[in-house]
Amino acid sequence: MCGTSYLRVALVLLVLPVAAQAQDATDELGQQVYTKWCAHCHGEEGDGNGVAASRLKPLPRDFTSGKYKIRMTTTGNIPTDQDLTDAIRRGLYGTSMPAFTAAYLSDAEVAAVVGYIKSFSDWFEDPERQNPETITIPDPPPYDPEAARTTGRQVYEETGCARCHGELGRGDGPSAPTLVDDWGNNIKVADLTMPWTFRGGGTRRDIFRSMSTGFYGTPMPGFHDNLGATPEESQQRMWAIVDYMLSLAGGPMEEGETPYANVLRSVPFGDEIDLENAELFAEAPPATFPLFGQIVEPGRNFYPSAVAVTAQAVHSESEIAFRLTWNDMRAETGGTNGPDLIAPKWDEHLAEIGQAGAASGDTDEGGDFWGEEATEDDEGGDFWGAEEEEAADEGGGDFWGEEAAEEDADGDDFWGEEDGAEEAPLSGTLDTEFSDAFALQFPLQKPEGVRQPYFLFGDAQNPVDLWFVDLAKPSKTVRYQGRGSAAMSPAEGGEDVEVVAGYDQGEWSVIFKRKRKSRGGLSFDEDSFLPIAFSVWDGFNRERGNKRGLSSWYQVYVEPSERPSPVGPMVRAGATVLGLELLFIALVRRRKGKKNS
Amino acid sequence: MNWWIILAVVAVMLAARWRKAGMLAWAVAWLLGMWVAMRYGFVVPVPASVIKIYMGIVVLSLIAYVLTDKDRIAEFWGPIEAFVTEPRYRLLLAATVLLIPAAVAYQIYAGMTAIPNAPFFARTVHPAPPDSITVHGSELALGTADNPYRELEETSPEEFEQRLENGRKIYFQNCFYCHGDLMGGAGMYAHALNPIPTNFQDPGTIAMFREAFLFWRISKGAPGLPEEGGPWQSAMPAWESFLTEEEMWDVIIFLYDFTDYKPRAVEMH
Repeated sequence: MCGTSYLRVALVLLVLPVAAQAQDATDELGQQVYTKWCAHCHGEEGDGNGVAASRLKPLPRDFTSGKYKIRMTTTGNIPTDQDLTDAIRRGLYGTSMPAFTAAYLSDAEVAAVVGYIKSFSDWFEDPERQNPETITIPDPPPYDPEAARTTGRQVYEETGCARCHGELGRGDGPSAPTLVDDWGNNIKVADLTMPWTFRGGGTRRDIFRSMSTGFYGTPMPGFHDNLGATPEESQQRMWAIVDYMLSLAGGPMEEGETPYANVLRSVPFGDEIDLENAELFAEAPPATFPLFGQIVEPGRNFYPSAVAVTAQAVHSESEIAFRLTWNDMRAETGGTNGPDLIAPKWDEHLAEIGQAGAASGDTDEGGDFWGEEATEDDEGGDFWGAEEEEAADEGGGDFWGEEAAEEDADGDDFWGEEDGAEEAPLSGTLDTEFSDAFALQFPLQKPEGVRQPYFLFGDAQNPVDLWFVDLAKPSKTVRYQGRGSAAMSPAEGGEDVEVVAGYDQGEWSVIFKRKRKSRGGLSFDEDSFLPIAFSVWDGFNRERGNKRGLSSWYQVYVEPSERPSPVGPMVRAGATVLGLELLFIALVRRRKGKKNS
Repeated sequence: MNWWIILAVVAVMLAARWRKAGMLAWAVAWLLGMWVAMRYGFVVPVPASVIKIYMGIVVLSLIAYVLTDKDRIAEFWGPIEAFVTEPRYRLLLAATVLLIPAAVAYQIYAGMTAIPNAPFFARTVHPAPPDSITVHGSELALGTADNPYRELEETSPEEFEQRLENGRKIYFQNCFYCHGDLMGGAGMYAHALNPIPTNFQDPGTIAMFREAFLFWRISKGAPGLPEEGGPWQSAMPAWESFLTEEEMWDVIIFLYDFTDYKPRAVEMH
């Protein structure tokens, strides 16, 4: 016995240093991986304060807190290693967090960096927090639109989902504008009509998990086993609410289906386009186009509000109408907006005075001016909040007017502001300085060949025709001729554009109508493709001028109202080929007969 | 290349040779084999117009090959004549005679009812740079210019490290929205852009260029592209309106460091 004990001790003595060495190697690998791939967003110290953080919403995770949104563990718990691995491998949809596939990180590297990330928070060492309760996701029953409409809807209402997510899931609930996370940052509620943007993924299993465990660190609670009297009933009701959410998005996406389109089809609609006709767009196929923040030119918009716009189009013999819809947490119908107004822009004036470099240098000194100072400054001063009209009044376009805005308590970009607990009107419409606005963009002339105007409001040689509506004056279109965002002028001549717009339950809807033919301008001829692009301004986010959400060029195809029947050409071609064949056979047979005789 | 497809085509051709297939079968095998190889043999699809031209050449060569020899003509024609004249093929002949006009009619139907494709602009992804550019008032000859800070790697590694760090910061405050956190061209805005952002991890992008080429693309952006590059549709900003020359050279250092690629050196003649 003694002998074996000695042997054991000897073995342990031998193995321990080897194990410790292996652990050191893993730690070192974890740190290397972290420094190369993670630190620029999550910070060298893991506090979520990397160099990119100030230009990101949602902000990078603060690893020192131990709170993680996407987990299989129940509310209040640390995540499992597998949860962290999944987040790294899959990425977080709709954010800058990428999917680190095997092409970038090996399994060993992911495992090492998971260990390193955990080392930032002592929660992972805390004995009381070990072995957290995890959920299991049962095999999903088939998608059930009926249960969704009845049970799902009922649970959605009973649970109070609409308070934040809105009656129709458009992210417009009365509490939506007041939401903050545990770090005091304003956060945007998920738009349930776009599951492909859900951070934790938009499959039924993903939604089941998010609903069960909640998003720790945010107001989104977990409802694990909490939706019914028994766990079984809770699970059943959970699937019903998952399906209800997907029904708000038009049902689950098919394998390989993408949410976005490239072409908008305008379909023929009777003789008269009546904007009051509720059925006008009933048969028009919707096409959804993605938007991105205008970060190409000065006046950059790093946190655009609108993610996508859905378009429909119909035309008659003489007219064409476009219907555009997008979701907006709240309608801003006061104040003004315009494509030619100067955006709250800090970077542009830095560039203009040749200080862009110096500005970047400033960020080294801890004060990052993009979002950081805003989030640190309780008084709410913010460079975004330049009251450019005041600045223009005071100093004839003096960009240093921005500094005044620092002391302006109202001058915040909503998403960049820390103090979101500030009382705000809860829903409906709001009188603000910055109104919501929308613009549809076409080339001023039909493009020759493939050459289009520059997609950002045109260029000097190739102007665009901008159909702009300031939603504070929703019945009036202002047309601009754009030769670049610095050269916008009111359009001269051309066809008038009619517009009606309305806001309902979190959705803006704008309908434009114009004559199809234009003398000297762009004509919407049948059977033709024309470039089309979109801009959305959210007044709540203080978007204006170049600070907006916009799209690349897409195409609108005006379908012909009458297609020539293919029967005639088909019969003619078929008969001709048949005749030639018979002739051929006859000739060959005749030749063969001659040869034989 | 899809090597399995190419191998399968070669195998069929070899089998046909080995079985001593007749001239007609041999010609058909060539025609089909070349089409399959063109259509499915390449990972990046070959444009339909190119396939058409290529198949035209194949047909002409086959005609020339058959017509230059009397025996080949006879061997080619024999089976056709037999099929058209011999009673045992009667049913098959009738079916063929009807099927061909039906296929032609269907082609016409499909062509007339399909929604046409949107006009497509085949842009030149890496167009030739101009001889020189002027950035912030100073002129740069792109043929000979090099990254002025590259030599620091040898002469002053510490300063080089600082520039690298500055480049990293600039990248992760400006570029990553489109080119992505992994430099794979899949940033959070990439799905909304046409053309898609350049993938720096691809060996066919920055690894092929000199740093001066990158400096041109970064400083002048989409608006500085020649027409063949589609300056109207790319969302690449002209970074000279946001960054200093130094910052642009720094971010170039970071691009190569992060991807482990080396810039091409200036070729001395």
